[in-house]
Amino acid sequence: MNTLLNVENILFYAVICLYFLAMIGYFLFIGLKKERLAKAAAIVQTVGLLLHTAALICRGIGAGRLPMTNQYEFATSFAWGLCLVSLVFIAKFKFPVIGAFAAPVILLLIGYAAMQSKEVKDLMPSLRSSWLGFHVSTAIIAYGSFGVSFVLGIIFLLREKMKDKGFWDQHVPSREKLDLISYRSVCLGLLFLTFTIISGAIWAEQAWGSYWSWDPKETWSLVTWLIYAVYLHLRIRRGWKGKTAAVFAVVGFICVMFTYVGVNTFLPGIHSYA
Amino acid sequence: MKKIWKFLGSMQFAIILLVILAAACAGGSFIPQGLSPEQYAAQYSERVAGLIVGLRLDDVFHAWWFLVLTAFLCGNLLLCNLIRLPQLIRRTRAAADPGKLGTPSVHAEGVRDFNALLAKLRMPKAVEGSDGEGRPVRYSVQNRIGLWGAWVCHLGILLLILGFTLGQMTKEEYTVYGVPGETKRIAEQDYAVRINDFRVDRQENGFVQQYTSDLTILELSGGEQAAAIDTQASVNHPGSAFGFKIYQNAMGDAAKLSVRKDGETLQESYLCVGDALQIMGTPLYLQLQSILPDYETGADGHTRSGFAYLIYVGDEFYTMSVRAEGEQIADFKPYEVFFSEPCSYTLLQIKRDRFTPLALVGGVVTLLGLLLAFYLQTRKLWARREEDGTWTVFGSSPKGGALFADRVKDAVEQLKNQS
Repeated sequence: MNTLLNVENILFYAVICLYFLAMIGYFLFIGLKKERLAKAAAIVQTVGLLLHTAALICRGIGAGRLPMTNQYEFATSFAWGLCLVSLVFIAKFKFPVIGAFAAPVILLLIGYAAMQSKEVKDLMPSLRSSWLGFHVSTAIIAYGSFGVSFVLGIIFLLREKMKDKGFWDQHVPSREKLDLISYRSVCLGLLFLTFTIISGAIWAEQAWGSYWSWDPKETWSLVTWLIYAVYLHLRIRRGWKGKTAAVFAVVGFICVMFTYVGVNTFLPGIHSYA
Repeated sequence: MKKIWKFLGSMQFAIILLVILAAACAGGSFIPQGLSPEQYAAQYSERVAGLIVGLRLDDVFHAWWFLVLTAFLCGNLLLCNLIRLPQLIRRTRAAADPGKLGTPSVHAEGVRDFNALLAKLRMPKAVEGSDGEGRPVRYSVQNRIGLWGAWVCHLGILLLILGFTLGQMTKEEYTVYGVPGETKRIAEQDYAVRINDFRVDRQENGFVQQYTSDLTILELSGGEQAAAIDTQASVNHPGSAFGFKIYQNAMGDAAKLSVRKDGETLQESYLCVGDALQIMGTPLYLQLQSILPDYETGADGHTRSGFAYLIYVGDEFYTMSVRAEGEQIADFKPYEVFFSEPCSYTLLQIKRDRFTPLALVGGVVTLLGLLLAFYLQTRKLWARREEDGTWTVFGSSPKGGALFADRVKDAVEQLKNQS
């Protein structure tokens, strides 16, 4: 068990180095305008993701359970989710600039994970449920997708302010397409957030005897859901598509971060371990 | 009047409600809920406390204005779905009608094989027809059902809110606690719980793995047992009987309290930590405060637990102390009062909520609606044959927009390169 956890520790720091290198690569791609650098950065990020996956597997086997039950484990899984979703969007839409904006967020998350206690603690009875894996893994994908929509919202808002029009026109989609890609990431996030909330409600009903208790974590998940529901409705209304929707994508992710970090820090409740 | 109904079912009103509800939920999570006015005054100021209590911000999620907002949201969803239903039926029919193909957002010329293009885009095979101007076209429509996504999602949310609200209004919830061997009545109901066993499973390092209560739920008729169902409740695995669900909620320490006089047992029952009992024949109440394991070691080398207790005369505190297992509490003389047999009690939550399945159905329908809306987007492609034998292709996808146009262009390019 200790050997695996030591391996996980080494891999974790290797992953931080690789994500940092990937971020530098993406920055140089924008600074030097060399496409090869973007490809190299994406390869480094992919290797980082593979090692990150290995680190999570080592932790899971070493701890004898799913590595999703405390602040450290969720933070590193959240960074993994954002890394995965950003790479999928980079590949699907041939849009490496996403990496330049996502990499700092990934580093912030994994840096936050590094500051948390890595101690493997025993699980309290209520966490020993088959719902744990589904509930938390859907939250990781949801949060990762919202992270990408946040990045796209920022790129959307910066798009017109970029001086080198040639480079940005070549490597960044039009505002119309950016809006559509952002919409896709919000759709993925909202679908998975709904899975998270519903699976959490079913689990809460079994563990606590109530599927909804207005616990701060539950309440803020609902607030996040409502904000993204507003985003979707705003996009349908003429005149709100684009800039206003991009602002809501950014605000939505701030809610996501508050649900994850802020609620645990300022609003303790029955989710205090998460 | 028509304008008011239209506004109540409008998307504009939905956005306003969603923003207000989000703000109210956020506020409710920041302001401590359920405190007394004095506690709010101590935490903030008299004025702020008055404001919190006056606006029912001390119980946001049950406040009348929160319920009104939720009712408005339900009304909005219902009206929206009712207003949109005929339009949706028309749109679904029109989507399959080549005479109503609409304005294309995709345009490509020189396509040699329209069916090959459809296959590349994983769209259904084309059907012959004629467009609105009577010209022959081949057309293919995909995911018409996706048009129903938002409608289904709204329906799901409605069912969810309805199930939750009805559940809150009608649910029965009781708490029962006791030690193995005891039978406890479920409040004033014609049911009782017999606690057969209570186990705490631990890992090798002593960490608790699971709490399990073996129970028999008794149905009573005229105070007599009419029927019985055995069940087991553990954390994450509630038991069930007679429509009730039984949850393993908590546990704690308990001990047997014995009252004797001249060797005759007058009173004997288990007392849970925190509980008080009037000692018969006296005005005194004895409350068990805590149990101290390994409190003292006897001459035989065995350790005995200690029992910390408080004594009240009516509501007035009288004294407090600790006695070892079997050691008499002198304040009750001539009665011999002592604690023994420290054990664990189980605390069970017993609940009956007939509307939980409705809320669950609502949640599943909401998910289904989101899946339809997001991942079964309606796409249309149609083509006209030109004199040179090639096809001019048109298409539209309300949600795919420019991305769908790009996909079609890429597919057309790939087919041209292949040939």
